[in-house]
Amino acid sequence: MKRRSVIIVLVLLLILPALSFGQASATIELLIHQNAPLVDYINAFNQKFQDKYPNVTVNVSVVNSSELATSTQTRLTANDVDIIDMFGFAQGIQPYMKNADKPNWQTLIEAGLLMDLTAQPFLKNYDASAIKDAGSFNGKVYEVNTGRYAFTGVFYNKDLFSRYGVKVPTTWSQLVAACDTFKKNKISAMTAGGKDGWPVLVAGYGILLSAYPDQAALVKGLWSGTIKWNDAKTVGMWQKMQVLAKDMIEPGASGIAFDAAPGRFAAGLAAMYPAGSWDAPAIASANPKLNFGYFPMPGSDNPNDNKFLAGKYDVGWVVAAKTGNKDAAMKWLAFFSQPDNYQAYVNATGIMPTQPTAKLNTTLGKEVAPYLANFRLGYELLWVNPKGFGQWAMPNASFFKPFNQWDDAKKLADQAQADLDAGLKANQ
Amino acid sequence: MYAAYHFGSRRSRLIPTLLLLPGMLLYFCLSLGPSLATVVYSFTDASGLVGSPTKWLGLSNYKEFLFLGQNARDNFEVLVRTLEFSFLVTVIQTSFGLLIAVLLNQRLKATNAFRTIFFLPVILGVTIIGLMWTLFLYPLGGPVEKILGLFGAQSELLGGPPFQAFLWVIWVQIWANMGITMIIFLAGLQTIPAELIESSRIDGASGWQGFRHITYPLLMPSLNTNLTLAIIGSLQAWQLLLVMKGVTNGTQVLGLTIYAIAFGRVSNNPTGIAMRQGYGAAASVVLFVLVLIIGMTAQYLMRRRERRILG
Repeated sequence: MKRRSVIIVLVLLLILPALSFGQASATIELLIHQNAPLVDYINAFNQKFQDKYPNVTVNVSVVNSSELATSTQTRLTANDVDIIDMFGFAQGIQPYMKNADKPNWQTLIEAGLLMDLTAQPFLKNYDASAIKDAGSFNGKVYEVNTGRYAFTGVFYNKDLFSRYGVKVPTTWSQLVAACDTFKKNKISAMTAGGKDGWPVLVAGYGILLSAYPDQAALVKGLWSGTIKWNDAKTVGMWQKMQVLAKDMIEPGASGIAFDAAPGRFAAGLAAMYPAGSWDAPAIASANPKLNFGYFPMPGSDNPNDNKFLAGKYDVGWVVAAKTGNKDAAMKWLAFFSQPDNYQAYVNATGIMPTQPTAKLNTTLGKEVAPYLANFRLGYELLWVNPKGFGQWAMPNASFFKPFNQWDDAKKLADQAQADLDAGLKANQ
Repeated sequence: MYAAYHFGSRRSRLIPTLLLLPGMLLYFCLSLGPSLATVVYSFTDASGLVGSPTKWLGLSNYKEFLFLGQNARDNFEVLVRTLEFSFLVTVIQTSFGLLIAVLLNQRLKATNAFRTIFFLPVILGVTIIGLMWTLFLYPLGGPVEKILGLFGAQSELLGGPPFQAFLWVIWVQIWANMGITMIIFLAGLQTIPAELIESSRIDGASGWQGFRHITYPLLMPSLNTNLTLAIIGSLQAWQLLLVMKGVTNGTQVLGLTIYAIAFGRVSNNPTGIAMRQGYGAAASVVLFVLVLIIGMTAQYLMRRRERRILG
């Protein structure tokens, strides 16, 4: 009797896995960057996905955005990731750029680490231009780009502006005056996530855009030498960046992490917050009652130079070519790309959609709508460093005190040009 | 007359070799092998990505790192900063470690508790130490900022000008490692016979004279060990800088630069760059040569000094 029971148990143990073979389980490893609204949405979406596909589990890893490229490359090499959030393909090498390093996405494609998604039916849900500009290489599609963010604007607290009689500035002088008004009333004019470095860099991009509304022409001009970081026009830009770092952004901002800054702005501790539109949901979530808007950083005294917003293609999905979970990964992407889910994603993250049927109906959506017709890719997405360039050869407001060592705009401008020249000459 | 060989003769003589083999194999696979591979990689354009084609570049990576454009001058600046970091850490850490060890070697109350307190940071991980001090140095209401505020001063502390931030990181590096220095000195102090000190006092030597002419010379082996550990450790240190400052201009040391190059991190580029492990390997070899030259020179000088003092 005992022997028979043992045999039955053994047979069951052998048969049960075979019965469930038809519904093999899979675990998708998903890598995304730290952005609270994105992380929250992805967690909620994964729950919905797992409800629909109970045999698929999704493990999410979150890394700081400045570490995303490193994690992407190391985890693809280790082959322990399936789907990765990659910023839209940027910094592609132009014909006039000589001896520059390839961008990381191109290296990954050439190493055969990213899956060719060209034939996937869910691509039809997206704008053809977004697929082409932000996720294609040599005629094949490797990334599903999910949207764009503006990063040259400034969030502002409408109630504080109204209380102190400040109008939305459309020129640099007006912005300086607005900051003075707030400071006189013991309110920080601006906050920024200075601890992570790049948010102050991004805060200065609006000033760069006002000086050079055609950012692609700026990049070409710098490479060809027709534009210099230390010519008269550009020195003015550096001076404004210094004012931004030194006088406009609140003291102590170097300790504020990128994801803590929206909370300070939402709490009314600063009247303005120069940042990417990706922060809108975090601001709204931190203080749902906050009445806020978003205007282009007025980096020039000519209002016509300040009518633009620049930004970037942001979150995009790439799939590891060697994934053992291709079916599950494609299901995840297809489910994400369904118009209803995608609209929920746009609502949650405030991203400007790349699906034609989706609409950005948020406060921010209304604020940026007037600028979308003239929306352009920002400098950061276009610039490629020549080999041998120096460390100061970039338009970065965080190079100034109190964030770094420079306190003379002209000297920094000269150093930036010298550092760029060194790279350009080294490659001749 | 040589002592008898314990493992007998012929095949038995193979036993020590066989016993050493697993350890040697592990050493080769985990340490020597990768080190040699790094040298080979330094002559290639290896990205570190599986499947990525690798080309032999000869000395190109070295030329780029040491001579190409402003980048080479920036790298030289990083080299100098690495030496400054190492010098300050070594001198201050060793001096403080010795001072504290001498104090804690006295027959005072609660010395064991103090020894534990001073040693405690050693058991904490670099990330924990870095984050803890980042909070301590938070410029918007952190403890240090509040103390500065009492004197009407305001500072960005870690987020301020590079030199200031660099000094803070040096301090934290010292704080984190001084426990080891102290313990090695304490062990050395406890090997010095109390009678020697007693007799010097009977002979009329002051406390300082006793320390200078008896304790200090007898501490030479401990001092040499501490200096060697501090020099090599500080030349290779970079993790604390990564946690506390990230990859930023003006505060990088060579170890951090190697990490940044090899793993696609660059200052002020949120998009990230492709990994360049071949180029990073060349920078590693430069660091290795630096550590080798400084380490060997220091060892030579310290041994000569030890022989001169102790005979």
